[in-house]
Amino acid sequence: MGKILEIKNVVVGNEEIKILRDISFEVEEREIISIVGESGCGKSITLRTIIKLLPQNLNILSGKIFFEGLEITKLKEKEMQNIRGKKIGMIFQEPSSFLNPLFTIGNQIEEGINEKVEKDKKKERVIKILEEMGLSYNVYYQYPHQLSGGMQQRAMIAMALINNPVLLLADEPTTALDVTTAFGIISLLKNLILIHNLSIIFVTHDISLAKYLSDRIFVMYAGIIVEKGPSIEVYNSPLHPYTQKLINCLPEKYNKGEKIKTIEGEVPSFKNLPLGCPFSPRCEIKNKICEKRIPPEIKIGNRIVRCFKYGNFMES
Amino acid sequence: MNIFVRLRKRNFISYISLYIIIFLYSLAILADFISPYPYNKQFRDTPLCPPTKINFFDKNGKFHLRPFVYEYKLVNPSLNKYEIDRNKICPIYFFVKGERRKILGLFPSRRYLFGVKEGKIFLFGTDMHGRDIFSRVLYGARISLSIGIIGVLISFFLGFLIGGISGYFGGKIDNVLMRLVEIFMMFPSFYLMLALRAVFPLNLSSFQVYLLIVIILSLIGWAGLARIIRGMVLSIKEEEYVLSAKALGIPTFRIIFRHIIPNTFSYSITAITLSIPGYILGESTLSLLGLGIQEPYPSWGNMLSVCIGNLRILSNAPWMLIPGFFIFLTIICFNFLGDGLRDVCDPKNW
Ligand SMILES: Nc1ncnc2c1ncn2[C@@H]1O[C@H](COP(=O)(O)OP(=O)(O)OP(=O)(O)O)[C@@H](O)[C@H]1O
Ligand SMILES: [Mg+2]
Repeated sequence: MGKILEIKNVVVGNEEIKILRDISFEVEEREIISIVGESGCGKSITLRTIIKLLPQNLNILSGKIFFEGLEITKLKEKEMQNIRGKKIGMIFQEPSSFLNPLFTIGNQIEEGINEKVEKDKKKERVIKILEEMGLSYNVYYQYPHQLSGGMQQRAMIAMALINNPVLLLADEPTTALDVTTAFGIISLLKNLILIHNLSIIFVTHDISLAKYLSDRIFVMYAGIIVEKGPSIEVYNSPLHPYTQKLINCLPEKYNKGEKIKTIEGEVPSFKNLPLGCPFSPRCEIKNKICEKRIPPEIKIGNRIVRCFKYGNFMES
Repeated sequence: MNIFVRLRKRNFISYISLYIIIFLYSLAILADFISPYPYNKQFRDTPLCPPTKINFFDKNGKFHLRPFVYEYKLVNPSLNKYEIDRNKICPIYFFVKGERRKILGLFPSRRYLFGVKEGKIFLFGTDMHGRDIFSRVLYGARISLSIGIIGVLISFFLGFLIGGISGYFGGKIDNVLMRLVEIFMMFPSFYLMLALRAVFPLNLSSFQVYLLIVIILSLIGWAGLARIIRGMVLSIKEEEYVLSAKALGIPTFRIIFRHIIPNTFSYSITAITLSIPGYILGESTLSLLGLGIQEPYPSWGNMLSVCIGNLRILSNAPWMLIPGFFIFLTIICFNFLGDGLRDVCDPKNW
């Protein structure tokens, strides 16, 4: 299996704030990656960095991104347009606001079709992919507001997949949906890997869902990936104190009648981040060094963790 | 076609307004054929003649299937008093023969929609030169109605282009374009209009004056619009569906013109229809000051301008104000239409 995406030491932000700090990871062919983390930790920004559609005030300050061996951090906007939607598809968090209210679903998906083919062919293709997503062909003629949330989400997925991309970025596609509909979408995504031969980066804040769906899990905290590794391992024996607490707080880990557990303290704001490890203010096992430096990536077996607890830093 | 059905269902008044507008425009186009007299034909012996009544019963109470008119005779020129001569019946015919005119400037014809063989027919009366106001209203519609449409097209083209680019790209481009807009908006539009008109010589042909007025009015109109479009584009480009269009790899100009501009339509369609009256009135204002379309060619504005400040006319010949009624009708119809179109433009209302 080859790598299709490789991100090296990417920093995103502006003069005042850094949202993503030193992000590195790679995605293999036909792999499902989950990025988990609390709200506001920079998951959506990570995805938008990959297709270079950041908010206007944020930029990639340093680092490199390779997609299929091509350094896309160097590409011009025009060249990026040939990658977006064609090679990398994206599903957004809130389908209702990500569909243009003025056009029918069919119209919008058709617009994304890359090749120059006749109208009839395009329509055929759109209807085929809508049906693949479990939508009836009527949806082709409907406007976004006439669809339910689940249907909109399926339409978004159809839109992202219309050009058979090799990488799908899915930003919390199920958060706005009820459990059954969400489950439908998840099984759909799992099937897509088999049919369409693609890799998925799946963003969620539900680590159990991530374990169920993905090959590897990346745990993010305040703009840093604190832990990376195979899903089962990360879930069953988390290394980073933040991951440990996150998993401990899951409802399925509770005994009946037990009090709800939360992680003490608050997520630091991006305006005044702690100097060292961003988790240090909430960490119970912190050391002096944790408050001075950001821990480097430490490799432990299949996993990579950013915590001074591992390696031999604690003494110094 | 769909849009008409929707309009009828959602907003009946605006549906009717649409038909009135279409009717007014067809009157303007067919003015050569419908008007019984040329716009500059003077009947010296009947100045300020009241509107001719159309009768079915003669003085003996006998019914005539073909409607007819009586002749009006000026009895007291200083008081402008007319008497109806009930002895002579002048029946109205369809497709009567008259002077040779070119319909639409192309087809020479001697027959007009209606008219009388003897006597005269002035449906809206005559002005002080004895010209038929009905005919002049029809010819005047050509000027007044087309100035609105052409002016709006020009200023909307400019407004969308400049506002769209300014709002979407922002930064320096935005800065430069918006300062330009402010220069235009800095002057009170009335004085700007006069100043622009003053730059050009007075002795221009009617057609040149017409073009000039259209250009002046749209130069005044586009600036405000560009600002509003810019504001809307500024907010719409942050909409998430624009982001998702970008994520589909759709090129920039297509995003502006297909995803952003159409989303301003719910506002701009209304603005378009609401600004047409402004052009009609603008032309009237210029005419009122003698800077608009020149006599003898009529426009609704210059027909009205003769009556303003002339009490004798206002009290003795109120029919001279009929062009004002047409301006009013047009404005109100466009307003209703704009209202209805706004509803219809939004798929959520279907
Ligand atoms: N344009 C911006 N300028 C400055 N800060 C921003 C901007 N956009 C986002 N941020 C900040 O970046 C952080 C990460 O945002 P992001 O949308 O990636 O969060 P997220 O992990 O996707 O959260 P959620 O689960 O709620 O979607 C947030 O704290 C937010 O305040
Ligand atoms: Mg998000």
